[in-house]
Amino acid sequence: MSALGWAAAAEWSRIWTVRSSWLLAGATMLVVLGIGTLVGLDASGSPSDVPADASAWDGGRPTAMFALFGVLALAVVTSTADHGHGGMVPTLQWTPRRTVLLAARVGVIVLTTAGLGLLLVTGACLLVWAIVPEVGLGVDGAAEVVGGTGYLLAVGAALAVGLGLVLRSTAGGLVSVIALVLVLPMLLAQLPYDWSLDLATVMPGSGALYLVFGEGPSDDMTTTSARLTLASWAVGAVVAGGWRLLRSDAG
Amino acid sequence: MISVRGLTKQYGGVRAVDDLTFDVEPGKVTGFLGPNGAGKSTTMRMVLGLDRPTAGTAEVAGRRYADLAAPLREVGALLDAGAVHPGRSGRAHLRIAARSNGITVRRVDEVLAQVGLDRVARRRTKGYSLGMRQRLGIAGALLGDPPVLVFDEPVNGLDLDGVRWIRGLLRGFADEGRTVLVSSHLMSEMQLVADRVLVIGRGRLLADAGIEDVLRGLGHRVRVRSPRAEQLHGVLADRAAVERVTAEELEVTGLAAAEVGDLAHAAGVPVHRLAEAEQSLEQAYLALTEGSVEHAGHAPERPAAAEVGR
Ligand SMILES: Nc1ncnc2c1ncn2[C@@H]1O[C@H](COP(=O)(O)OP(=O)(O)O)[C@@H](O)[C@H]1O
Ligand SMILES: [Mg+2]
Repeated sequence: MSALGWAAAAEWSRIWTVRSSWLLAGATMLVVLGIGTLVGLDASGSPSDVPADASAWDGGRPTAMFALFGVLALAVVTSTADHGHGGMVPTLQWTPRRTVLLAARVGVIVLTTAGLGLLLVTGACLLVWAIVPEVGLGVDGAAEVVGGTGYLLAVGAALAVGLGLVLRSTAGGLVSVIALVLVLPMLLAQLPYDWSLDLATVMPGSGALYLVFGEGPSDDMTTTSARLTLASWAVGAVVAGGWRLLRSDAG
Repeated sequence: MISVRGLTKQYGGVRAVDDLTFDVEPGKVTGFLGPNGAGKSTTMRMVLGLDRPTAGTAEVAGRRYADLAAPLREVGALLDAGAVHPGRSGRAHLRIAARSNGITVRRVDEVLAQVGLDRVARRRTKGYSLGMRQRLGIAGALLGDPPVLVFDEPVNGLDLDGVRWIRGLLRGFADEGRTVLVSSHLMSEMQLVADRVLVIGRGRLLADAGIEDVLRGLGHRVRVRSPRAEQLHGVLADRAAVERVTAEELEVTGLAAAEVGDLAHAAGVPVHRLAEAEQSLEQAYLALTEGSVEHAGHAPERPAAAEVGR
């Protein structure tokens, strides 16, 4: 195996050998599957409210928003864990090639957290279907939801890892992720100015909202614009975090 | 083999390491000695590619550490024993190290047994004592069975058993032909374990010499007690600087205890106590930094073999 393979294996172990990862993953699972169950029970309780062409994918899709928060938190916590305890010293001692460490860390955390989130959202959709089998489970809807949700969760995770690597602090990372995804988009959209609405539109939280619920602060948003917005944030954060990892002392 | 050439690190206005050049050879314990803040840790961090030098280079076996794909097989290091995730078990910590360098996981249990941590290895490191953390750090350094070992103040905070264990370990590594670099701010510690010392102060290399040469360079200080101190004073004063401490006790600078004893014997003066005074690093450090020694009464000879002040 190559140095990158070794580093990736080590990153995977780093994630799953601390309790906080299991707690966050477990909490996310409870919330996402729990909401999937509630959606299913709701639909089976009042079948007249369910549109004729609805599928279980439509029912489970909104859980992606909750999965996203779990993914963001897990990605911040795992990407900053080393920094809180001086762990970067042994980590860089074991993997001194920083480009290798960067690729392994970003790659493994993004794939792991987004993969977990996607699995849970899919699970929520399947739960809805299990509870109300009459809604159906089309293949087209599957590809669309899984692909769209997978994209959202992956760029979200990349944004969170990038922020974690820039800030090198779990608390700071969590606060800034919540600000960018939840607080700022909502706050800016409430202000009575054009510029604040424009700004709200390009916040990552608005893009996420649009991709999950199909609506955002502005009517001009499209799926493509929302995806581009999110990708720009993710790329920007990973570049900044990577630059800090590559350029500065272990700290 | 570690080669450092013109290594320099500037932190804002502080020059933590200033144009250091030295080699660390295999088969010896090389002590890296200097008072707190002298730049020992910073130098070691640069050797291990953790911090970027402002200028100069550091190489291990002819390569930059940061270019090594499996560094644990080349260099084992213990820098900061506290740098372990408190929520992870000692064993999990080492398994990650092993994975990151393509070392078999079986080796983890071997080194855990070697450092005597096998019974607590599955406990989270949060509950480890400082000594246990040091042992865990050393286990990590041994994981890849490397030919080069670097330890930063490994005996700090250890009890006597731990200190003895580390001394034996360092000696053993050197005897196996490995390259061993170990830092300390205590001359007394280096005296016991190092074959050679690099002394630094304020980031500069002050001496690069065998331990005996450095101590000789300091000048021996010997306390001698005799009921005929007056007569002994006369005998010794021709050869060295002698000071009267009490009515019966003299302090001699510039002669070894054996020489003082021989001279007393030759003169037929009874000796009731004869002891080499502890030479602290502070004294070594002062002696080395003072370009020339002003106090005639305490003038030690400069060691010929020591390369002083680059
Ligand atoms: N990260 C840092 N930022 C600023 N100054 C530092 C940093 N690390 C060390 N120093 C300074 O560099 C000098 C050398 O420190 P250090 O290498 O830790 O010395 P030693 O290990 O010999 O005690 C000290 O003056 C210290 O304050
Ligand atoms: Mg130090």
